[in-house]
Amino acid sequence: MSNTEPATNQVTKRDIRSAAIRYMFMACNTFNYENQQAPAVVFGLNKVLRKIYKKDEDYKASLNNHFNYFNTTTWMANLLLGASVAMEQKDGIQSKEAVQAFKTGMMGPLAGVGDTLIWVLYPTIMGSIAGYMGLQGNPTGAIIWLLLNIVFFFFRIKLFDVGHTSGLKLITALGDRLNVFTEAASIMGLTVVGALIPAVVKMNVQLKYQTGEVTLPIQTEILDKIMPALLPAVLTIIVYKLIGSKKIGLTSIIFLIIGLALVCSYLGILGV
Amino acid sequence: MEIIQAILIVALAFWMVLDQQGFVITTWFPSIIGMIAGVIMGDVPTAMVIAGTFQLMALGVANIGGSSVPNYGLATLVGIYVALRTTGDIENAKAIALAVGVPVGMLGIQLDVLGKILNSYVSHAAQKALNEGKFAKMNRIFWIGPLIFGLTTAIPTLLCVIFGDKIVKVLLDVVPKWFTDGLSIAGSMLPVVGIALLLQFMPVKKYLTMLLIGFVISAYLGLPILGIAILGFAFAYYFFTQKINSTPAAAAAGNGNTSVEGDEFDE
Repeated sequence: MSNTEPATNQVTKRDIRSAAIRYMFMACNTFNYENQQAPAVVFGLNKVLRKIYKKDEDYKASLNNHFNYFNTTTWMANLLLGASVAMEQKDGIQSKEAVQAFKTGMMGPLAGVGDTLIWVLYPTIMGSIAGYMGLQGNPTGAIIWLLLNIVFFFFRIKLFDVGHTSGLKLITALGDRLNVFTEAASIMGLTVVGALIPAVVKMNVQLKYQTGEVTLPIQTEILDKIMPALLPAVLTIIVYKLIGSKKIGLTSIIFLIIGLALVCSYLGILGV
Repeated sequence: MEIIQAILIVALAFWMVLDQQGFVITTWFPSIIGMIAGVIMGDVPTAMVIAGTFQLMALGVANIGGSSVPNYGLATLVGIYVALRTTGDIENAKAIALAVGVPVGMLGIQLDVLGKILNSYVSHAAQKALNEGKFAKMNRIFWIGPLIFGLTTAIPTLLCVIFGDKIVKVLLDVVPKWFTDGLSIAGSMLPVVGIALLLQFMPVKKYLTMLLIGFVISAYLGLPILGIAILGFAFAYYFFTQKINSTPAAAAAGNGNTSVEGDEFDE
């Protein structure tokens, strides 16, 4: 760090940590359709930036810059914002354009990887395990999930620090590894999802086929003989195609399934 | 005691959305929220069954990029509260939780949109205070944001806490058995929505192998999910180490685009 202003030396580790926690608390809690996460960025950084900018005019200019549109995966934003603080520490208000360009340029790619990992794959894997155990009345999966979240919480504070100390170089280098990591996580996710279909989707046919003396329970003697979890697999394929067709909304599909279950219950086709 | 439980449930509803959009520790995922609600209501096993049902429905529902989604955490919370207030029987509790939770969770979408619209004013007011040089005032204004979002879930929960169990008790007396059974059956079928939605975002065509392996091990061998997850991790770990070691030039090829590409999906 070469300092052009002596004042910048006053930024301590503690300021960085507090900025990280302030941003993490506010992340999407001031989300709006205009500048999305920008208010949270200002809320997070304004204390540490005040230490960098002693002049009110510079301070206002810097914060107004941070009021510009910003949206990325909040976990990844810690890296970006840590690096932004480092840039402003180094070059002061001259870094305004560079900070803006850096934030805007990096938020897209980081959101692409981050959203997949953090909002799709992580909740899928944990949600599958916790949800499946939950169906048996067992909270173990949920407890593991909660503990993991706490671990990640500290990891994210660290990310801000990493962004602040090693900044731009690292973020660019990380991108390629993350792609492979995302792909690997998809492999694990798909294995779990495949296992979920027979484990949690339950359909029991109550009907019996009668010919003279013989009664044949359809579920155990016919369907299960073809393949266990045949109906759940068929239902999954149908719903998958329905969602993919974009012709029908998700809410409608949910109400359709509830309606179908009610009708089948009334007619005695399906049982609990 | 009942009053204290009600207050805690509403407080949890308020905190849930703030945490999901911020710290991400207790989140609004049904499993974790259901566990906490179960502790509050003093019946963890039943709460976990309800939470598990909603959790599997909610798989693949992610509010990313500012989209609004059904609030399954809210559905879980009011579902558990009302169900445990009205019945002790698990199948009944599941049916009641679905009947109450699904509509309330859907209402959550509208309130979330409203919260995001109102927050435009928070952002404007804060920026105005900044340019007037009132820095402390600016910081105070920001806190209105979380207050708005907390209320989007706390208000519907409060209404369910006040009226929910009374309405359900009346309904239970008049509703026939096939109807509550039907809702329970729906509860066992609905996880399919979460699973099917999830598959839209995943490279199904590319890794169909994995999906089939998971299905067969679960359907034919009945291995618990955790065991299959570890197996999935083993495949993933092998893939990762192979890829990283075999392509030291990966860094040259990568250009920051994501691995999930549209053309790998079913039309």
